[in-house]
Amino acid sequence: MALFIYGTATNTGKGFFTAEDRRAFFLRGFPGDVWVVGNNEKGALWLAEKNGVEKTKAEAQAIVDAEVAAAQAAWDALPEEQKNNGINSRPTAITLP
Amino acid sequence: MTTYSDIRGYRVKYLSSDPTLSTSNEGQVWYNSTEGVLKSLVQIKAWSAGGNLGTARRNLAGAGTQTEGLAFGGFNPPTTVYDLTEEYSGYTWATGGALSTARQQLAGTGTQTAGLAFGGLVGTTLQSATEEYNGSTWGPGGSLGTARRTLAGAGIQTAGLAFGGGTPTAVANTEEYNGSTWAGGGNLGVARRNLAGCGTQTAGLGFGGELDPGTSNATEEYDGTSWTAGGNLNTARQVLAGAGTQTAGLAFGGSPLTGATEEYDGLIWATSSAVMATLRSALGGAGTQKAALAFGGGTPTNTAATEEYFSSISNYSPSTQDAWASGGNLPAAKYFLTTIGTQTAALGFGGNPYTTSTFSYNGTSWTTVPGTMNTLRGAKLGGAGTQTAGLAYGGMTPPGTVFSAATESWDGSVWTTVPATMNTARAGFGSAGTQTAALAFGGFVPAITAASESYNGTAWTTTSSLNTARQNLGGSGIQTSALAYAGLTTPPSIVQSATESWDGSTWTSVTSMNTARSNLGNAGVSNTSAIGMGGSPTGAPASNGTATETWDGTSWSTRLNMSTARRYIAGCGTQTVALASGGYDGTTLTATEEWTAGGPASPTGAVASTLTTS
Repeated sequence: MALFIYGTATNTGKGFFTAEDRRAFFLRGFPGDVWVVGNNEKGALWLAEKNGVEKTKAEAQAIVDAEVAAAQAAWDALPEEQKNNGINSRPTAITLP
Repeated sequence: MTTYSDIRGYRVKYLSSDPTLSTSNEGQVWYNSTEGVLKSLVQIKAWSAGGNLGTARRNLAGAGTQTEGLAFGGFNPPTTVYDLTEEYSGYTWATGGALSTARQQLAGTGTQTAGLAFGGLVGTTLQSATEEYNGSTWGPGGSLGTARRTLAGAGIQTAGLAFGGGTPTAVANTEEYNGSTWAGGGNLGVARRNLAGCGTQTAGLGFGGELDPGTSNATEEYDGTSWTAGGNLNTARQVLAGAGTQTAGLAFGGSPLTGATEEYDGLIWATSSAVMATLRSALGGAGTQKAALAFGGGTPTNTAATEEYFSSISNYSPSTQDAWASGGNLPAAKYFLTTIGTQTAALGFGGNPYTTSTFSYNGTSWTTVPGTMNTLRGAKLGGAGTQTAGLAYGGMTPPGTVFSAATESWDGSVWTTVPATMNTARAGFGSAGTQTAALAFGGFVPAITAASESYNGTAWTTTSSLNTARQNLGGSGIQTSALAYAGLTTPPSIVQSATESWDGSTWTSVTSMNTARSNLGNAGVSNTSAIGMGGSPTGAPASNGTATETWDGTSWSTRLNMSTARRYIAGCGTQTVALASGGYDGTTLTATEEWTAGGPASPTGAVASTLTTS
């Protein structure tokens, strides 16, 4: 059985995930409103209750990759002086667990 | 999953405040909705070892309290009778002044500095003598009307009570002492010797003892005139000890040899769950029902052992787990936002993308408030103070190449540029303090700097520098007690774990974080209490982390991870209740997470076995 459930859900803010949720199952957010939750009953229920759309791992990874690629393109378009101003660095790839 | 309701047949009460701490509520389980904590009311009773008497003995007398006790007289078979006095500090016994008349089977009452000894036995001679202790020496007092031994005492040095005893037959005589002479009082209902007593001259308690023949479980209460029957001891015994008052009495030890302890509430005796480790009779006793002292006695051989009794009823809260929960989203996605204040009253300003907007958080949602900053800036400008009295300083202005030294003051509705500018324009630095007592340290200018400066409400003054120059570090605390942690050094880009503690004049290197990082969220109130949240655990290229660590003044502890890995996080609040807002995880974020630190079970030392349910 897979360890995680992958999906997208919009973070609506307060109450989107609770302390009890964090105690009940693995939960981790990624770019593109991608959420990875523990593959158990409570994790699955949480995603469903948040109007989440379940994805395969590959689909979720593709969403994250697209977000990162867009961010990299935006960074690449910055003037050189802003790239080297000591606060920004080029976004790096993210691999989902 | 089995629930409390399944087990007990009741649902857990949902209360806004704790019920009264009384035995009638013992074992109740409730949820305190104000504190958000599941609680129970538990009794904790225990005898623990104290310091041994200098001289092991039995048939001695006692007075005072658990932390200021007095032991005097006593006996070591076959013939040794003691005049020894020892004073207890709560830890050890020290020698006090000797009794004028060595004796055993005497009674005592009073305090460590105003004690009273009366009656007893020397050889085969019954004693009527009274002695008064002043904290160092014993002096003569008035003689008892009836010489006797194995009697009981109560009260204080200037208002004492003597009752019962043996002549050698059991007697019921009661005498009252006024500080100089003894006068007759009402007789006990049951004549007895080797009984115990406690309370005062006008609210005395006598219990247990030896009858002619037999062992008594009877209790009698004295009102200053006469004795009336009270509740019986659960365990009849003689040569026991007592402590406390007429409505909160304590009986412990005795013969038949026992360590049993009973608590009296003015009506009934309840057997305590605590039993003395050393079963004994003919012991000395002192203190109160909640904090008593037992010392010496026979086991049957003489013992010097001292035991301290504790009885309390208090809220028990089970240990709680760390928690990150989602908070309200920022009105706009932001990284390098600066936040100040608390988890339920925070202020956000500056940051990237550059805006002059000011955000306010109420514990549920962020809103954009009317007041805007006068200087557009981001890149982790400094922030200090509260939601209604804040300070913003430094940072970087668009397009991201010009450093700012500007300082603005927030009064809850308007930002005002103050005349004072920082000595060193900088971005990506640590900040701490209040609106009128702020601190800035580290950052880049554009070279990485270790420079520190402080603000007194009027001007910025250069202070001692950090030991390690760094940028994009964590910083928290106040102007006189701050902490600098993590950060980035370049070239090359290396993330740091180093921590430095500021005492108001000097930065001192202390224990490093477990996870080196930069651009983390930070919060805390002093150099002994801080939290680091997320950040980039790598230098170049930067990445996003979830690691949470808390600082207790000595070391960093790894805690529950954040839910979304990110860097350039805004943090505020305290080590135990913090807020992490915005940041960057590949995209700029609006997400906020609320941190609540878990805690150990309370009261400290309570264990599951002390929990009972009704």
